[in-house]
Amino acid sequence: MYGKGLRALSIATVTVMALALALVFFWAPLEADQGFLQKIFYVHVPLAIVSLCGFVVGGVFSIQHLRTRDARWDMRSYVAIHTSLIFGVATLITGSIWAKGSWGHWWEWSEPTLVSFLIVFLLYATYQPLRFAIEDPERQARYASVFAVTAGAFVPLNFIAVRASTAYVHPRVLGATSNLPWQMSLTFLVSLLGMALLFTTLCKYELTAKHTRAQLRALRRLAERRAGTAGIASARRGRSAAPSLQATAMTAQAHDGRGGR
Amino acid sequence: MSAALLAELPALPLHEAGKYVAAAYIVLFAMVLVYVAIMAIRLSHLERDLGELLAREQADAGPDADAETGKGAAGGQARESTLV
Repeated sequence: MYGKGLRALSIATVTVMALALALVFFWAPLEADQGFLQKIFYVHVPLAIVSLCGFVVGGVFSIQHLRTRDARWDMRSYVAIHTSLIFGVATLITGSIWAKGSWGHWWEWSEPTLVSFLIVFLLYATYQPLRFAIEDPERQARYASVFAVTAGAFVPLNFIAVRASTAYVHPRVLGATSNLPWQMSLTFLVSLLGMALLFTTLCKYELTAKHTRAQLRALRRLAERRAGTAGIASARRGRSAAPSLQATAMTAQAHDGRGGR
Repeated sequence: MSAALLAELPALPLHEAGKYVAAAYIVLFAMVLVYVAIMAIRLSHLERDLGELLAREQADAGPDADAETGKGAAGGQARESTLV
């Protein structure tokens, strides 16, 4: 069920990413001020936008989990936040590289956009330890959802506060103050689409892998029960930050028409 | 044709700025590569676990099951190729 459409999505991701790279390096004009260095913009900004959107999406999935108590929403929220964290690391690294090339420093503490992104990233860096600290899977999922909703609401608030700030040197590329030529805007939008597709594909890969593992675990339990050799190792799952899924329950829900994406 | 295409393309200024741009794109590529490697490791674990489960089931079912599914080891191979 999670693997459905994965091949088409993967092909679309590779195609759009390849197109974006071709546009970035062979079509988009060089920026007058920064020159070739500005090409980092096409990877750094989409990474940051997709990462922040992923955090918000994780919060939305958590709301669904709190409403329905369905473990699948917790799993989706976990995967969205987990992937956003990976994208967040890439954003910070590419941003630092751009800052070094452009400003001569790896980091600028007086720059609100950089620091605010770091705050959001560090906030979400506590998500996995929070989950790991709670042993009971039910409580873990509930607390993690509350965290994801609260932190997810903080992301757009933080973004608005930083944009309202006037003392900045960070370039504004979206909105009324943007003066990008249309070739650059189009290249940026294709890059953003490629990054969003990459995010979705990686999330789907991870969901499929986790679901398959849960199904395999359930299958092993069934086999052991039938053989009368239920081992302690397979009967009880060790402590983990990742949500636990009951594959049998998931499959049943998928078949009764409510499940599936 | 490729030479003509390359001649049309703008030269990439791989001097001072070029190394920063290359580094930024390599970071993204490396992260995707690491992710794919982790997924590959997980997939190999899944394959191993599934193989163990299948072997145990075949051992529990005995020779009758092998005969039903296709003559012992040859049946196992046939099923494996079907799975692939």
